[in-house]
Amino acid sequence: MRLLAIETTGAKASVALIDEAGNTRVQGSEETMNHLQHLIPMIQQLLANCELSINDINGILVSEGPGSFTGIRIGMATAKGLAQALSVPIAGVPTLRSFAYHLEREDVIACPVFDARRQQVYAGAYGWVAPAQRDGGSGDRGGRENCGKYGNCGGCGNCGTAISLVEDGAYDLKEFLGRLESTVPHADAMGGRKTVVFFGDGLDRYEQEIRRWGEEVKERGIQVEYAPVERRYQEALSVAKLGRKMFSDGKQRQFGEIEPVYLRQAEAQRKLEERLAQEKRSSQET
Amino acid sequence: MKDGQFITMGIESSCDETAIAIVGDGRKVRSNVISSQIAVHKVFGGVVPEIASRHHLQNINSVYQQALDEAGITMDDVDLIGVTYGPGLVGALLIGLAHAKAVAFATGKPLVGVHHIQGHISANYVAHEDLEPPFLALVVSGGHTHIVNVKGYQSFEVLGRTRDDAVGEAFDKVARVLGLGYPGGPLIDKLAVEGNPYAIEFPRVFLEKGSLDFSFSGIKTGVLNYLNGMKQKGLSVCQADVAASFQQAVMDVIVEKTIRAARQQRQKRVVVAGGVAANSKLREMLGEACRKEGIQMYCPPPILCTDNGVMIACAAYYKYQAGMTSDFTLDAFPNLPLEA
Repeated sequence: MRLLAIETTGAKASVALIDEAGNTRVQGSEETMNHLQHLIPMIQQLLANCELSINDINGILVSEGPGSFTGIRIGMATAKGLAQALSVPIAGVPTLRSFAYHLEREDVIACPVFDARRQQVYAGAYGWVAPAQRDGGSGDRGGRENCGKYGNCGGCGNCGTAISLVEDGAYDLKEFLGRLESTVPHADAMGGRKTVVFFGDGLDRYEQEIRRWGEEVKERGIQVEYAPVERRYQEALSVAKLGRKMFSDGKQRQFGEIEPVYLRQAEAQRKLEERLAQEKRSSQET
Repeated sequence: MKDGQFITMGIESSCDETAIAIVGDGRKVRSNVISSQIAVHKVFGGVVPEIASRHHLQNINSVYQQALDEAGITMDDVDLIGVTYGPGLVGALLIGLAHAKAVAFATGKPLVGVHHIQGHISANYVAHEDLEPPFLALVVSGGHTHIVNVKGYQSFEVLGRTRDDAVGEAFDKVARVLGLGYPGGPLIDKLAVEGNPYAIEFPRVFLEKGSLDFSFSGIKTGVLNYLNGMKQKGLSVCQADVAASFQQAVMDVIVEKTIRAARQQRQKRVVVAGGVAANSKLREMLGEACRKEGIQMYCPPPILCTDNGVMIACAAYYKYQAGMTSDFTLDAFPNLPLEA
């Protein structure tokens, strides 16, 4: 079982292979925003490095968004085309959630923040069921009851799954930080985590605001860290890791069943609906 | 190969049609699937690029499957994949390109990038089995207005082009100010039948002496000024007369320049292509002018005038015959020039 992961939602694209055992190989490009041109050659290079052909691929993983609309579509159209032509299953991998797999530590809250323009961010926050809690503190994995006590894990048995602490969405930064702030103490109960790590190009755009917030919450015992630039952005490696888990959980689909996740309407659509709502209001007034 | 034919798949997504076709031996249509987004964009009065891109992505996989099914083939039977790589809306183009590249890579089939206008011209090869270059081509659509000297299958000389609006764009804009709806071409064409084409004198812009270029922004303003003037005077407007007079003014210029180009190039054949090639007034006027000059006029049927995959497959076939293929770095070019 070999899965091909595609990540094109950010400024730089990358692809990765992951096998059953979780072994990974990655191919990236230093080019920015030219994903259509480089994506297939990048996949070719990755396969060549592994002495594999595209026919050795048993499934496709694609970062589904949010992110750059154009980037999302290049990845999606390519991934769906490959899945269709190869007759293999596919999984649309939530881009923000994939950041939970970015740092190989489970004792922090991963907080990807993308610049969504129009003074907004696409953001979410993910925590893990802490190993100590997950194992019932004794090393065995019969800790399902324990799980139930913590956060919205809900005793679902999803140990080893990143748990969404703040729902993925398009937010005003202030609103998002507010939600995060009210969630962290709650997440804290799940395993003593008080560290939030920020990722994404939203960090570049709103660094001052986020750092200011970090200073404020320090008093409440919340530590804020900022991902180093080389690990800050979308990576096919994380898409591969989360996608492999989706496949093993039976969440793979056929190409016709997956869709991009824009988290935002087209601007023209939004304006149209606004206008129609206004017309409706004014007709009700008269 | 299938049934002894060389099979080409043509993929087109440069504007608001997601279209894939299967063509045998470059000219025989085996399937022609067109998923039009007209209904989607109607409410906006024109094509919205972001919305078009979203719909292309939604549609392309099922259009692909339908094209294969209707042709009675599988991807194994396909010998070549052709895809539009410009000009057009970049976000729209890249859906067809990403799909074409993925399929070509997955199946090991050769890939050829096709110029959209070369595609429109090639629609005539499908419609007229004996047609071969050289000839003069008039390409008129919502995005393009070109007079092209087609010297060979891969040899083009652009003799004239619009300097502002494409002719189809002018139709859309005038239809909008008349409140007719979208797309404007067929609506104005239909309404004009009931009007007097000489009722209103709209400007005919010929540009500098000898120029084969076009400008249609002035006539759009002319229509607007006329409508405003009538409104200020409190007079009622005969919409059919406006439509007919507008169309007459536009076609006077197009026909005059096309015939002049044919004379200059000593071409005895004129080929019309693009969405506006379906316009009845153009066919009538250019047909008449060509007859007087002893020129033969070729028009594709309406289904091959609109954006479609057949024309892309045909153009790709001839490029492949000429030894031209594209590699996987093939990119989208919104302003791709026709002359290489």
